[in-house]
Amino acid sequence: MIFEVRLEGATYKEPPTKFEAGTPHIAGAIGMGEAADFLMEIGMEKLRNHEMEMNRYAIEGLKKIKGLKIYGPLLSAERSGLVTFTMEKIHPHDLSQVLSEEGVAVRAGNHCAMPVHTRFGLTATVRASFGIYTTKEDIERLAEGIERAKKKLR
Amino acid sequence: MDLYRENLLDHYKNPRNFGKPSWAGDFMFEEINPSCGDKIGVAVKVNPSTSLRASSKQEIGDIRFWGEGCIVSVAAMSMLTEEVKKRKRLENILGITKENVLELLGGKESIPPARYSCALLGFEALQKVLARVKSKRA
Repeated sequence: MIFEVRLEGATYKEPPTKFEAGTPHIAGAIGMGEAADFLMEIGMEKLRNHEMEMNRYAIEGLKKIKGLKIYGPLLSAERSGLVTFTMEKIHPHDLSQVLSEEGVAVRAGNHCAMPVHTRFGLTATVRASFGIYTTKEDIERLAEGIERAKKKLR
Repeated sequence: MDLYRENLLDHYKNPRNFGKPSWAGDFMFEEINPSCGDKIGVAVKVNPSTSLRASSKQEIGDIRFWGEGCIVSVAAMSMLTEEVKKRKRLENILGITKENVLELLGGKESIPPARYSCALLGFEALQKVLARVKSKRA
């Protein structure tokens, strides 16, 4: 990034080199390329369809749980691959803890989205996200885990 | 060890020393965890018969807490208020550490580090209140 460094001061190369000190994250760049190849090999449309199917299956299953509220549009095509919800009388932290003990990993909190939570009058929610590796069985375990948490914590 | 043991759930459903008291005044503080919205408020009352002593020898006559939070935060504070009442003397109460609070809940092994901020929310509020009590009698 530098031309010359003296005790009294330094001179710098032109951008972008000026802002790139040391060895760049080469492994990361190669990894990203591989990830992109991997996804494109499967097919982006196929991936999106899988995502929507997981959404649909999750919303269908979670909707049946008494006291559970889902946020955002219920049409899976209008969502990205996740479902955010709250459970009546159970704090998101506690619900996610019990789910974790059941081997189901969700996120609890505001998901770096405080303003949208404020918009819905909430402070914290639970979020289940889906990937290409998510199966219907995973979603069934999520629903079962929530029912178990209800029995345990209420 | 199961975090949500009967003991913890009991403290959550029947929190001890719960409810904002009418006498809450100078020695009161409300602590919030903005990431989840948990809020714990605490108020203490100095035992009047000890109020003329040097601050460390003073006794806490009463402690109450209020607010809303997850099971861990409420149960922890419920247990902490019992511990405060047991210790009575300010200097003993000031000796309560974060580790002590985690022990009350069942030990560090039973609480995931991600929940420490829940477990210590009330403790943080209490520290701020105790600092005020201590500074009032320099």
